Amino acid sequence: MKNFKNIAISVIISAFILALSVFAWVKPNDEFSLNERRQLAKFPELNFNTLVSGSFMKNFENYTLDQFPLRELFRTIKAQSEISLFNKKSNNDIFEKDGYITKIEYPLNEASLNNASKKFKNVYDKYLKDTNTNVYFSIIPDKNYYLIGDDSNYLSLDYEKLVTNITSKTSYMKYIDIFSELSIDSYYKTDSHWRQEKILPVAKKIAGEMGVELKATYTKTPFEKEFYGVYYGQYALPAAGEPMYFLENDITKNAVVFDYQNQNNIRVYENSKGVLRDPYEVFLGGPLSLVTVENENATTDKELVIFRDSFGSSLSPLFIEAYKKITLVDIRYIHPNMLEKFIEFNNQDVLFIYSTSVLNNSETLK
Amino acid sequence: MLFSSIPFLYYFLPSVLILYFVVPKKLKNAVLLLSSLVFYGWGEPKYLILMVASIIIGYFSGLLIEATNEKSKKKIFLTINVLVNICFLGFFKYSDFFIENFNNLTGLSVKLLNIALPIGISFYTFQILSYTVDVYRGTVKAQKNLINLAAYISMFPQLIAGPIVRYSDIVSSLEERKTDFSKVATGLRRFIVGLSKKVLIANALGELCATFKASDDKSLLFYWLYAVSFCLQVYFDFSGYSDMAIGLGKILGFEFMENFNFPFISKSVAEFWRRWHISLGSWFRDYVYIPLGGNRVKKSRWIFNILVVWFLTGFWHGAAWNFIIWGLYFVIFLILEKTKLVSLITKTKVINHIYTLFVVIISFVIFDAVNMGEAFYYIKAMLGFSSAPIISTEFIYYLKEYSVILVSGLIGATPLVKSACSKLTQTKTLRVVVGVLEPIVLIALLVLVTAYLVDGSFNPFLYFRF
Repeated sequence: MKNFKNIAISVIISAFILALSVFAWVKPNDEFSLNERRQLAKFPELNFNTLVSGSFMKNFENYTLDQFPLRELFRTIKAQSEISLFNKKSNNDIFEKDGYITKIEYPLNEASLNNASKKFKNVYDKYLKDTNTNVYFSIIPDKNYYLIGDDSNYLSLDYEKLVTNITSKTSYMKYIDIFSELSIDSYYKTDSHWRQEKILPVAKKIAGEMGVELKATYTKTPFEKEFYGVYYGQYALPAAGEPMYFLENDITKNAVVFDYQNQNNIRVYENSKGVLRDPYEVFLGGPLSLVTVENENATTDKELVIFRDSFGSSLSPLFIEAYKKITLVDIRYIHPNMLEKFIEFNNQDVLFIYSTSVLNNSETLK
Repeated sequence: MLFSSIPFLYYFLPSVLILYFVVPKKLKNAVLLLSSLVFYGWGEPKYLILMVASIIIGYFSGLLIEATNEKSKKKIFLTINVLVNICFLGFFKYSDFFIENFNNLTGLSVKLLNIALPIGISFYTFQILSYTVDVYRGTVKAQKNLINLAAYISMFPQLIAGPIVRYSDIVSSLEERKTDFSKVATGLRRFIVGLSKKVLIANALGELCATFKASDDKSLLFYWLYAVSFCLQVYFDFSGYSDMAIGLGKILGFEFMENFNFPFISKSVAEFWRRWHISLGSWFRDYVYIPLGGNRVKKSRWIFNILVVWFLTGFWHGAAWNFIIWGLYFVIFLILEKTKLVSLITKTKVINHIYTLFVVIISFVIFDAVNMGEAFYYIKAMLGFSSAPIISTEFIYYLKEYSVILVSGLIGATPLVKSACSKLTQTKTLRVVVGVLEPIVLIALLVLVTAYLVDGSFNPFLYFRF
């Protein structure tokens, strides 16, 4: 019996390791992970230099992790173990609460807030100070603000402190508080972003503060596929997809959108692009450094410049009706010093609108 | 290459084992040597030459020591070998420490060499030293076959983190060894248990410790949570690695010495060190402490002897003052215990345990500190001499978040699981049940570990720096 057990253990475990090993060698490489929205590592270059420097070994390890057979299944097993076996609330800092998947955003990073304030001040001093522009500032709370609230079982940012901290350093801009215009329903369940169809009150509040009125009506057009947000892949546990809508009307259809980064015209809602990678890129082409939206039939002759992150992509189309020209600037992808080549700051409304996540992790701001 | 990595588990290990079991007996040591060189070169290609040089010097030193009949010449060859190896170790591991201290003392600013520590140098240097000393003492014969000696010194299961295997313990296995299903099964079981200790418990506790260090919300209880977690992390990390090494050794037909024996159940510091890193403790005992006279000398000489041993033990762990102080810190308690002063206070078993755990926990705070300033700061905070509050939000959150891992760690650090398993197998029916369940549990652990490795990026190995 004992010998049979030893044989069984030896054979079963060896067979398991060997099977996965062979599978790992013969499995064709995957190019892209849709769940993680990133390119997967390829087999590294093997030559004398890469061997001696050790770079081959380092890259080979990344390659084996990225291309491991049944990788998604193993990631799910790990996530399930974290939650069920080890009784953790989160997997890789991603957790689910009340059907919403979200990421722990903690702690408050005061150095990052200082950095963001400094970056905004640089832009203000270089382009806006002593001009006839009207400068506004707004903060988009991440969904944890509504999801966690006062629940002490979760770590959460001190939002009041965040707002006080950054507004005290940006007093040269008029602060527009939009916290009360949103609720947890305003956000996707599997993504960090807000739902465009839920943020009309936000757009109206901001527009009102900037002295324009938004009256347009929209058709709530469903995106052709179910939406699985960025946290879905990172969480690695099963979650339902959810419908995604964009607000469309003749104004958005006829607006002329130019992408300076790729030097081509795009549409307000780039439906085809979103199918492939990040569906949220449907809104104004996603993460682009500089985009202009022109509307000849705008209700005013005003121009609006928006310094924004990805949340701004879905908000901006709602301002098209009122502004002749909207320029969207993402200073995570373009250095502000470059802006003088493209924008003349004169008599515009200028809105800085950033999510708490970007403010609290502002090292990407240039 | 880490044992707890996908390249090792699913690329290196299967390839090596297939080759090892396929080749005829006389080539097995050559396969072992070749695979060990690949294993070592994978992490440190440029330091392969250093290790090969140490092996060759050790090989010829052994032959020369044995070849001469004159004691004085034997001594010269031994001294040369010891000096060369200590110089290698001193240069690659300690030169910046000495330069820094020299600069501090003199006010000069001699440039640091910033040499990357060759992985495993502390382990293989000690193996070479013990081999040549044993040849000098005549307790073992010099190995004539360079491949056999090189296979022993560079053997990948124990190369980078021990246990420090004595040549005398495996010389017969180097010449002739047998592998059967019993050894393979025992080895695989031990390897998977060690791997699980490392990946599932030590890595998770490592995350908790890293989180604590980065926290701005530290509290007295959070300091204690960190200190306990770090103790458990080091234990599961290092004993897990030793389990893997012993398991791999078994699969290949070798018997390595045990390195840990539930150290946290000790009732004294002396007992703790008989249960913790046993191969290092016994190495210092046999090659430093006893040659210095051990305890059969005057009291003052005995104190000197243990000061030397514990200074070296601390210094072996790292080229920094906190490691030296960590080593010397134990001397205080060893002397107090020897002079029965401790037993005057600790009269019951429970108090003995509490005393030992307290001393050990504090010691690991010193061990983990970046410098002694940080160590004192942490210890002060643990004793309530800081402005930190007693409890904080983060402490509560992380205590809950890691509760299962902490409890598993605390239970796993005692012999409870082992004795429960042996009790379970006392009746025939339960033996059958355990027999059926065991392969399933082992596969489940392997799947789980693989899942964590595929998904995770936090996989440090603490003893790599030694």
